[in-house]
Amino acid sequence: MTDTVLIIGAGFAGLGTAIRLKQAGITDIVILERGSQVGGTWRDNTYPGAACDIPSLMYSFSFVPNPDWSRAYSGSAEILAYIDSMVERFDLRPHIHFGANVIGLHYDDESATWTAHTEDGRDFTGRTAVMAAGPLANPDWPDIPGIDGFTGKTIHSARWDHDYDVTDKRVGVIGTGASAVQIVPELVERASSVKVFQRTPGWVLPKPNPPHPHWLNAAFRRRPAVQSAARQALFWLHEVVALGVVWDSVATTAVQGIARAHLRLTVKDKWLRRQLTPDFRIGCKRILMTSDYYPALQQNNCKLITWPMYAISPNGIRTAEGVEHELDCIVFATGFDVSKTGTPFPITGSGGRVLGEEWATGAYAYKSVNVAGFPNLFFTFGPNSGPGHNSVLVYNEAQIDYIVSAIRLMRAEGVRAIDVRKDRQDEFNRDIQRRLESTTWNSGCQSWYLTEDGFNATMYPGFATQYVRQLSRVDLEDYTVALTTSDGGYRTAAST
Amino acid sequence: MAFDFDTMLRTIKDKQWSLADIDWDAPGADLITEEQRPQLKQFMSDLVWIENIGARGFAALARKAPNDTVKRIYEYFHAEEQKHANAELALMRRWGMLADGEQPAPNTQIRMAIKVLDTYGDDIPLSALATLIPMLECALDGALVKFLLDEVADPLCHEVFRHINSDESRHIAVDFQVLDLVGAGPARRLLIETASAMQPHMLLGLIVVFVPLLNKMRDNIAAMGLPEHKLYNAVKRFVSNGDRSENTKRIPVYHVFKAQARMVVDRGHGYHRYLADPMVKVTNRIPARLMGKQPSWSKELTHEPVAK
Ligand SMILES: Cc1cc2nc3c(=O)[nH]c(=O)nc-3n(C[C@H](O)[C@H](O)[C@H](O)COP(=O)(O)OP(=O)(O)OC[C@H]3O[C@@H](n4cnc5c(N)ncnc54)[C@H](O)[C@@H]3O)c2cc1C
Ligand SMILES: [Fe+2]
Ligand SMILES: [Fe+2]
Repeated sequence: MTDTVLIIGAGFAGLGTAIRLKQAGITDIVILERGSQVGGTWRDNTYPGAACDIPSLMYSFSFVPNPDWSRAYSGSAEILAYIDSMVERFDLRPHIHFGANVIGLHYDDESATWTAHTEDGRDFTGRTAVMAAGPLANPDWPDIPGIDGFTGKTIHSARWDHDYDVTDKRVGVIGTGASAVQIVPELVERASSVKVFQRTPGWVLPKPNPPHPHWLNAAFRRRPAVQSAARQALFWLHEVVALGVVWDSVATTAVQGIARAHLRLTVKDKWLRRQLTPDFRIGCKRILMTSDYYPALQQNNCKLITWPMYAISPNGIRTAEGVEHELDCIVFATGFDVSKTGTPFPITGSGGRVLGEEWATGAYAYKSVNVAGFPNLFFTFGPNSGPGHNSVLVYNEAQIDYIVSAIRLMRAEGVRAIDVRKDRQDEFNRDIQRRLESTTWNSGCQSWYLTEDGFNATMYPGFATQYVRQLSRVDLEDYTVALTTSDGGYRTAAST
Repeated sequence: MAFDFDTMLRTIKDKQWSLADIDWDAPGADLITEEQRPQLKQFMSDLVWIENIGARGFAALARKAPNDTVKRIYEYFHAEEQKHANAELALMRRWGMLADGEQPAPNTQIRMAIKVLDTYGDDIPLSALATLIPMLECALDGALVKFLLDEVADPLCHEVFRHINSDESRHIAVDFQVLDLVGAGPARRLLIETASAMQPHMLLGLIVVFVPLLNKMRDNIAAMGLPEHKLYNAVKRFVSNGDRSENTKRIPVYHVFKAQARMVVDRGHGYHRYLADPMVKVTNRIPARLMGKQPSWSKELTHEPVAK
């Protein structure tokens, strides 16, 4: 009889779950990671300029404090080193199976266990399974005619090729999202020319990024309480910002005013300002945090191109104003394939039901963690768990603690299977969707938060505090529970 | 049946063409006669700028589009008008009408149009813009290109204009479909929009720009030895197309432009003698420096098929 916890993915979420499980005395953990290294997002996103846009003090686990962050918003290498350090610090290495690319996850009703199949033909079985494969783990390549015929270099921002030297090259950047605004200023420094191909501009807020002075780091090291107080202060600051960026309100107009003023003050030319002005409410799409992007766009070797791109030719990009833009290299800062209407690999639950089919018109779950009909399966960054204003790791910690509590409860009570009740799940989602109506994300723009049909399966409509509170306690009343009986059989507990 | 804008957008994407598709050195450039050259150069310069003005008009429309598909269509049209201007520049270069780095100078009426569009373009309400653009397209943008074909023997010119005409047929189709869509909207909104379109500064801007521009182009056409009734036929097309839709006829601004169109095509109407022609004369005298700095969107034209 296995009690193993299967964890798929060794990024922040997977490793964080393992750490908390171990701290709770649960050590029967198997982590499956398709890469050859931990770190997920921060192993994959090493493009020039890659950094977090939530302060590092918050973009880190509270249960793994790091007093040594070099600046307010750390770069990708520093974040990766932090994640790496967790592996040693909590002795996670023995649990991790690298090169284990999961291609299917299946529940067996008979044994109440999950089995993960890997690409190389291995099977791993556990009582419970934790999906931690990452919300933004699979690069999205746009569907532009001729893309395969380009004879120059192509690079995806999430798979940067450090052997390629952009010095004196003519570089085109496709996309103007969170990654692009970090890459462009770096490229402008090195490349001979940079053309930025924009479809829709995003709202930009300035991001001052001062180094942490030595005395501050020293204080953090001497007194962890100082660091957690700083983290708390930042947390509440971000919670206040939610008033403007989560709900569509007068505060939204105020925040938009700041973004507008930033644009006015930093971009001289009226037409360029017009090209950079979004036509949606701030917050509706991810807000871009950068002080370097606008200045970079105005450098002599940089040009913003807003003409529709209709083809890639062997030598460059063709836009609808009739010009072929000759390029040596195209950088695809086109983001990720986000599973809003399916799962990254097939997941079959109780009775062979297929999760991808149930989610075909938009994913849903109970408190973003469980889905009815898929017993013992837990999601990190599941449906409607995204913040627009705060560190995802705050949300992640709440998920992890919930998952760990549930697994502990199962063990303590001799539970072989818990399955969230469908009525509770439906009730929860009716409420979520109702609350989403008044948010900026649902205010009328098309973004990666929404499905093609405009269903929001991604974001949590509330404060981080609310999200965390609803996950603070596992209530077995919400679940159908199957207990193990003393003779090794089982019975279903009647829960009302 | 409702017009399928999605199919239209797909067609637009499929029909994209590039200056790089065209062999600008193909034989035939010498078919332009010395006699033609001066008037043709003037005509082409105006044409280039009218395309550029049309481009800016579509940029303004894209902001007001009734839905995302139409918005994307307008973004393409914005670019296509720019492409027409670029291609016409490339033709001028091929015909030896432009020295290295030379851009044709916009005439005063054009500069005024640029100025007004730059200042008010994004504030003109949808119903007014959606009416103005098809009028411009019927009378000038789409029509002028066709006139030229009778005059110019260069086969490459015909090839380029085939592309342009094909684009224009889609512009006109969408223009009138959107007009119909706007007309189908609530009467209250139409009235409110009309009221704001009729604000004195907006109205004045439109009159000052459009009235002399049309007559100036008529004079240029006449100077090329083309019959001016061709232009009038093109203007009539605006009315005949517009009148086909009951919805369009509900748009107050449409009736304003229609009335203007009626006067324009009536050569004996006082409109020409007392308003339009004098305005051409007056505006001709406005010194360029009064028009202020040229906005950067009007400095993006290029005859180069490939940006190295
Ligand atoms: C460039 C960038 C910047 C960001 N900045 C911020 C920020 O500033 N603040 C913020 O809050 N959030 C930010 N995010 C969001 C970020 O994704 C999350 O903060 C967080 O890193 C997610 O962690 P994770 O462990 O869930 O996923 P990941 O870090 O993506 O880890 C998932 C792991 O699962 C593995 N995996 C995936 N599929 C399989 C499979 N089939 N089999 C086996 N293993 C698999 C992957 O290889 C990966 O290692 C950013 C994201 C990106 C891309
Ligand atoms: Fe045109
Ligand atoms: Fe046109």
